[in-house]
Amino acid sequence: MATDPMAEIRASFFVECEELLESLQDALGEMDEGQHDNETINVVFRAVHSIKGGAGAFGLDALVSFAHRYETVLDELRSGRLAITPDAMKLFFHAADLLHDHVRAARDAGPVPDGAEECLHDLEALIGDRAGPAPEEEITDFQPMGLSFDFGDMDDGMSASEPPAWQIRFTPTAALYASGNEPLHLLRALQALGTAQVTCDLDGLPDLDALRPEDAALGWTILLTGDLTEAEIREVFDFVEDVSRLDINQTAADTPAKDFSMNFDQGLKNPLPPFEAPLAIAADPAEVSGPEAAATTPTTAPSPAVPQAAIPPSAPKEPATPTEASATVRVDLDRIDRLVNLVGELVINQAMLAQSVAEAGLPPNSAVMTGLEAFMMLTRDIQDSVMMIRAQPVKPLFQRMARIVREASGAVGKEVRLRTEGDATEVDKTVIERLADPLTHMIRNAVDHGLETPDKRRDAGKSPEGVITLSAQHRSGRVVIEVSDDGAGINRPKVREIAITKGLIAADAVLSDSDIDNLLFLPGFSTANQVSALSGRGVGMDVVRSAIQSLGGRITIHSEPGKGTRFSISLPLTLAVLDGMVVNVAGETLVVPLSSILETATLSEGDIRALGPETNVIHVRGAFVPLYDLGAELGYRRPKSSYDGGIVLLTALENGARSALVVDAIMEQRQVVIKGLQRSYGHIPGVAAATILGDGQIALILDPADLVQNASGRTRAADLALAG
Amino acid sequence: MTTLALAPRLDLSHASELAGALRGHKGADLVLDASAVTHLGGLGLQLLAAAAKTWRAQGHSLSIQPRSAAFDEALGTFGVNLADLQSEEAA
Repeated sequence: MATDPMAEIRASFFVECEELLESLQDALGEMDEGQHDNETINVVFRAVHSIKGGAGAFGLDALVSFAHRYETVLDELRSGRLAITPDAMKLFFHAADLLHDHVRAARDAGPVPDGAEECLHDLEALIGDRAGPAPEEEITDFQPMGLSFDFGDMDDGMSASEPPAWQIRFTPTAALYASGNEPLHLLRALQALGTAQVTCDLDGLPDLDALRPEDAALGWTILLTGDLTEAEIREVFDFVEDVSRLDINQTAADTPAKDFSMNFDQGLKNPLPPFEAPLAIAADPAEVSGPEAAATTPTTAPSPAVPQAAIPPSAPKEPATPTEASATVRVDLDRIDRLVNLVGELVINQAMLAQSVAEAGLPPNSAVMTGLEAFMMLTRDIQDSVMMIRAQPVKPLFQRMARIVREASGAVGKEVRLRTEGDATEVDKTVIERLADPLTHMIRNAVDHGLETPDKRRDAGKSPEGVITLSAQHRSGRVVIEVSDDGAGINRPKVREIAITKGLIAADAVLSDSDIDNLLFLPGFSTANQVSALSGRGVGMDVVRSAIQSLGGRITIHSEPGKGTRFSISLPLTLAVLDGMVVNVAGETLVVPLSSILETATLSEGDIRALGPETNVIHVRGAFVPLYDLGAELGYRRPKSSYDGGIVLLTALENGARSALVVDAIMEQRQVVIKGLQRSYGHIPGVAAATILGDGQIALILDPADLVQNASGRTRAADLALAG
Repeated sequence: MTTLALAPRLDLSHASELAGALRGHKGADLVLDASAVTHLGGLGLQLLAAAAKTWRAQGHSLSIQPRSAAFDEALGTFGVNLADLQSEEAA
């Protein structure tokens, strides 16, 4: 077999776990915000329950045991016997984090996470005596316990003093094996419940040639003695009920008592079908003429009345999860990347074709032109779809940050609440993965340095609980992720003092507020006087900034004393293709991302105003916008003496500021494939990447915001650069 | 007497392989070496049982020797006797 089906099923279980953990976090978050309705609590319970069930099928004992004990406490919550308090919520969150760790540990065969036992202990302390090693009380409307005494006179072997015995007939179908479940684990679980006497129904087994390896040909009868309810037994089979046949009857301790089933059926929601001994259908070897017949007829399966295709549910329970995850397909990321690259090539190819057609001088309404237009639209659709495959919501990333906040705030003794906004915002998967580290660092910084201690907050007239807001949104064709806190803001005198002490700036340097704020990004800067457990370990904001820059992003900082600090990260939406405006500057072809261009204009004498000796602004719609000459900024030529009649691109920056870039000519608007330069050349100020045009020429793709930032030396748009 | 060494995991992932190997040894006495078996699943079990049945019918001997502790433990859990998986028939 080329691939190991078990490994695949196992992998999909862990994918499912991630989804369940996500919904667990969501629901806990809702509970934390005061939503205590049954449905929310049920979502929490079901998530843990499903993880436990799936883990059981794979024999992941540590995970099962943790999930089971967590679930036991949640069950108390579900039944209303446990009240939701802030302390309990903290424990639930902590347990959810640990559950996540357990899942990871199980997946990577890593060590069991620390602190699990203490957390469970604290959790179980919430419910006192009701906790215990025994499985939880299952809430069910059927109480079979009361029935046993009714039959005392029917069989001498059954007296009231003896523990009840259960006869369980369990017959797996092929689907049970195909979904990665294993009777061995289920039988073990049963044997753990009480004294079990297992009999395997071997009689119906076909001949070796007639047996298809993936078919289910065995069934088991288990006589289980112990102080058990039917619900407890059914729970073992919770995840295989729709892929197996299960009959559970109460019986006398020693006698297999089929006859009783009729009496018990009255109490059951679904009457049990009369038991047919496997012998009755046991494939007579004489009937099975050959392997072909065996392969196509269900008679070879001795399982009573379980044809492979039809799976009769033995009880209408909540839908079992393992077989339902068919709405998604897991695809290797490499394959998607290959597809993205191919689509990139397609875009280039289409551009070349369009150019050839244009050069051939065909009339605009010719069949070739119409066909080419349709081709262009298709290319665009394919490209969008491919990009959508890679895009993922930032929600899982944000949920990880919620955990960072909980851990960090616990470590420094601050009360912190994380608010998230826009977690449905979709970003390229690579970007999401590479954002985790910088964001973690920023969140820790916000908890450790940004927010004040509860006492100080009270003194400042704020709520003792600090709030960190994590938001994501699409803006100007980029993704903007912001981390803000409602703390004291940057202590600028202190930052300045430290920068001077560390020799980062001259003692008499004249710096604006934002200049001082930006000192935080200098390598080796740290405001913490003491190295705390959380931050201040020498990894500073400079590392965060270079991580963001390596993604083609920018990070900016805004701070207001007493009100808080906000870090904004602006990132490109995709790393593969963009819509660009192809322009000519001093004989060079350049591409400006269309997303950053607001409008284009031709300048006239009256629009241009001088500002200072070397700079110009232009007057556009009632506002003054600094003017930059692209040719001069990029070193292609010296600034012109007059820009009268010049063409400008008005660009918007993420912070809302605008700038006007002078170009010589606008050539066309088209899609270009981004070919990264950074791997070969490193970061070039003002240049985002390069591309290959239709005629095979290489053109630089500009990053106007970065260009303007470097042209002015600082972020302040008021600091104007060379022009005029 | 031919000996066939069994794979460590006798479950869905190796069921086809096991069936093929067993079928390939039909019609002769066979010893199965289960010393490396770490996991005997339901599908592995039924193949071994079906093989024993076939060997018995054909009058050949089939034995499982040596066996790992995991193999024996699984047999116990499954409620299956070793005799059910062997054929005592003399060739």
